[in-house]
Amino acid sequence: MNAGWMAFAILFPILGGVLIPLLPFGNRKQMLIYVESVVLLNTLVTVNLLLHRPQEVFTAFRFTGYLSVSFHIDGLGSVFSWIVALLWPLATLYSFEYMKHEGHEKYFFMFYTVTYGITLGICFSANLLSMYFFYEMLSLVTVPLVMHTLSRDAILASRTYLYYSIGGAAFAFIGMVFVLKYGSGLDFVPGGVLDENLIGSNKNVLLLAFVLAFCGFSVKAAMFPFSKWLPKAGVAPTPVTALLHAVAVVKAGAFATMRVTYYSFGADFLRGTWAQKVVLALTIFTIVYGCSRAVKETHGKRRLAWSTVSNLSYILFGVALMSPLGLAGALCHMVFHAVMKISAFFCAGAVMYKTGRDYVHEWDGLGRKMPKVFTAFTVSAFALMGVPGLCGFISKWQLVRAAIDSESVLGYVGIGALLISALLTAIYMLTVVIRAFYPGKSFDYSTLEGIEDPNWMMCLPLFCFTAAIVIFGIHSAPLVEALTSIASVVG
Amino acid sequence: MSVVILLAIFLPIIAGTVSLVQLAGKKNKDEEPSQEQLTKLHYNVARVLLITAALAIFAAWRSGSENGVTLFYLMKDIPLYFHIDDVGRLFVTFISIVWVLAGIYSFEYMKHEGKEQRFFGFYTIVFGVLIALCFAGNVVTLYLFYELMSLTTVPLVLHNGSRESIMAALKYLFYSMCGAYMGLFGIFFLYRYCDTLNFVAGGTLNTALASGNTKILLFAVFMMLVGFGVKAGMFPMHAWLPTAHPVAPSPASAVLSGIIVKCGVLSIIRVVYYMVGADFIRGTWVQTAWMTLTLITVFMGSLLAFKEKIFKKRLAYSTVSQASYILFGLAALQPQAMTGALLHSVFHAFIKSALFMTAGVFIYKCHRTRVEELPGVGREMPKTIWCYTFASLALIGIPPASGFISKWYLAEGALNAGIGAYGWIGPVVLLISALLTAGYLLPVTIKGFFPGDAAKESYENLEPSRLMLVPLAILAALTLLLGVFPNPLISFAGKIAASVM
Repeated sequence: MNAGWMAFAILFPILGGVLIPLLPFGNRKQMLIYVESVVLLNTLVTVNLLLHRPQEVFTAFRFTGYLSVSFHIDGLGSVFSWIVALLWPLATLYSFEYMKHEGHEKYFFMFYTVTYGITLGICFSANLLSMYFFYEMLSLVTVPLVMHTLSRDAILASRTYLYYSIGGAAFAFIGMVFVLKYGSGLDFVPGGVLDENLIGSNKNVLLLAFVLAFCGFSVKAAMFPFSKWLPKAGVAPTPVTALLHAVAVVKAGAFATMRVTYYSFGADFLRGTWAQKVVLALTIFTIVYGCSRAVKETHGKRRLAWSTVSNLSYILFGVALMSPLGLAGALCHMVFHAVMKISAFFCAGAVMYKTGRDYVHEWDGLGRKMPKVFTAFTVSAFALMGVPGLCGFISKWQLVRAAIDSESVLGYVGIGALLISALLTAIYMLTVVIRAFYPGKSFDYSTLEGIEDPNWMMCLPLFCFTAAIVIFGIHSAPLVEALTSIASVVG
Repeated sequence: MSVVILLAIFLPIIAGTVSLVQLAGKKNKDEEPSQEQLTKLHYNVARVLLITAALAIFAAWRSGSENGVTLFYLMKDIPLYFHIDDVGRLFVTFISIVWVLAGIYSFEYMKHEGKEQRFFGFYTIVFGVLIALCFAGNVVTLYLFYELMSLTTVPLVLHNGSRESIMAALKYLFYSMCGAYMGLFGIFFLYRYCDTLNFVAGGTLNTALASGNTKILLFAVFMMLVGFGVKAGMFPMHAWLPTAHPVAPSPASAVLSGIIVKCGVLSIIRVVYYMVGADFIRGTWVQTAWMTLTLITVFMGSLLAFKEKIFKKRLAYSTVSQASYILFGLAALQPQAMTGALLHSVFHAFIKSALFMTAGVFIYKCHRTRVEELPGVGREMPKTIWCYTFASLALIGIPPASGFISKWYLAEGALNAGIGAYGWIGPVVLLISALLTAGYLLPVTIKGFFPGDAAKESYENLEPSRLMLVPLAILAALTLLLGVFPNPLISFAGKIAASVM
């Protein structure tokens, strides 16, 4: 396809979104049809782009000689784009029903749709500067979504979110400057762009710059000690927490660290250095830390958010292993975690929407009243725990394979952390599942009168995700192969 | 033949799932089923259990070892693979026998627990999962069904829905998961350092690859032993067993103690003798640590059982102790000891199921759960108590009952294993534990028949119905018969042991 379509796929949802408050819709239904058609059309364009990837680089505009905003779709970018393009229409469908009780829908859908375009911008970016540009835009445009309810909590949360994001981006900027100074340019090149001759004796400074950049970008991926914003942002409407705070925004952070590590600094330069040890240690700690906090948390969505903190560090752990296998594992978990966690969030959202109960101990006995939702929740819980036959097991297997291959102590410790986290996942997910299905002998079901499964707009996405979890779980070979071959270019 | 294997695995899983889905679709779930519906349910369950058992045993004994079925590929080089070998044959046979008998027993017993359809739904599913576990041809398949087993047995534990049973079920679940993940830790390393993940007698460890990484590999093996040992109630991860087994309905406790525990044993056999190989751990700190843990468990389990007053809990502690007899036999890494371990797996499955069924009779007929309430019980239900006594004698190891044979092999194997002081410490601990076993099992019989001061004027007849008595009697008879005619079984177990060492 023509490279210009890349710009189209980015701009179309932005424009389409901005128009929502301006267009004179007769009723709610018309607006929903409009939103879904914009999103679906854009997904079609994106999928078509991904199937016929344009080889050339499309430069949108140029600041100076070598600073430009330009787009190119390579393997890594295509993985993230696939996730985004396939999940967005389903999440939008879900939010039609969910947002009924939240209000201010026009503005919600405006920002929601605009975010789609900007996320694609991150996927398609051909150099560090373009990615940085869209990365900042993503922070800004999602702030209104976090404070959607305009409650005090929401405003505070969005402020935290903003500070963390902007602060992280500033650190990332430092890294970018160093790449510019010691490398051959800002373009993403598998294996990195650093120039041996330019580095000379400044290796440690550069490593420090890398650690700063890695940490900066992983603020969005909620790595410890920058993870506080994510659970706080759980006050946002569920479609936001599910799609943005489990997939688009946080995975943009993970994606950016992949770019910085493998395409700017280069894994060869970093492997075995103290910088690698620092980031590995941070990710390993976060894996356990996130899960422990999830066990402690009783607010349904915040618990899932802490779980996301932990799972994102699985991805970062894979990235920090600095090997093609590690990157393959990270990509694998990026795809599978997207499906599993969005499914879990949608279940939590469905419960909150139907019952107004936010805390997990209020969900006792709901399994009988909402069997579809809780079946989906159980499947996603098993998948997150890593029960074989579901997709979570596959990505864990890939990550651990890379860790064992590294033959390093931190790698082995990481495996231990992954398994401890799996156990903690079992604790914080299955207590909910068991109490929902088995509330106990003395439980009075009459308190749950009138509660039932939500309508098809909420159930269809859940069904798709559950099916995907199972299918990826039992037939993962083609996808894993593809991801491995994508990752192999960076070695 | 491959069709039969798959049928034996998936028929019960599908049948159980269908039954559960049908239950979930019912409008009024709390409604008690009519007598007619209940009879129909019983017939259906009996049919499924019997057909499955027949299929499984037929598949096990009528197909050669070269018969394997690859279902599909979980990952590029890791298939879901079923395969039949001698260990699988042995385990699937006694599992099927106990499962069917306990199933029949529960037709009557579950009447006072209620929610039969849910119980039998899960009960049938677990049967399929266990058959798959026995037939698993590689370690990932084994792990998959191991986890499924943990997950699907949870509803059996929390069946009665009391707060106590739900907490027990959670404890059971988290211990199991913890164990499974420790096992998984080792499996990751096996994937890297073994030639193939398929089970091959004697192990598939690639010694050239492993040579530089012995330390971490030994650690991984130890993790696997402790991890899979959770299911077998091995110290230090035994605490769930005395909590979870007693709260389940009695037939469920019977199979949990008799069978599920053995699946931990089976997994350990698989990883030690069919993946890592006995030679790799012989003489290392792993073997020493493993033997120490098992002997601690043997002694501690018996002692706690001796002190325990709640009957089912006492039996559960006894399981802790007895399962570690088996593990000690495996840890000795010696053919005779392993023969003893395999024999004890079979015998203990029959014995412990029979004992728990007796406990179930006490609960069902006269609501007695504590040992002090049992004097005189022999006058009320003499047949039951005779069955109980035979099983007890077998567990203590009094010849000619079956437990004697297995313990003999365990002790002899330990003496010949060349494991230093453990060669005599082991048998001594086993002996002390046997005395304790006599001490905690026989008083029930003695006081049951000779209540002494507690004697009443007259005793009413509390003998249970045939549905409960016959399975119990069959199991008790088996424990005795296998002790009198043990030779085919001994030579079969000996053949397995010889093939792996």
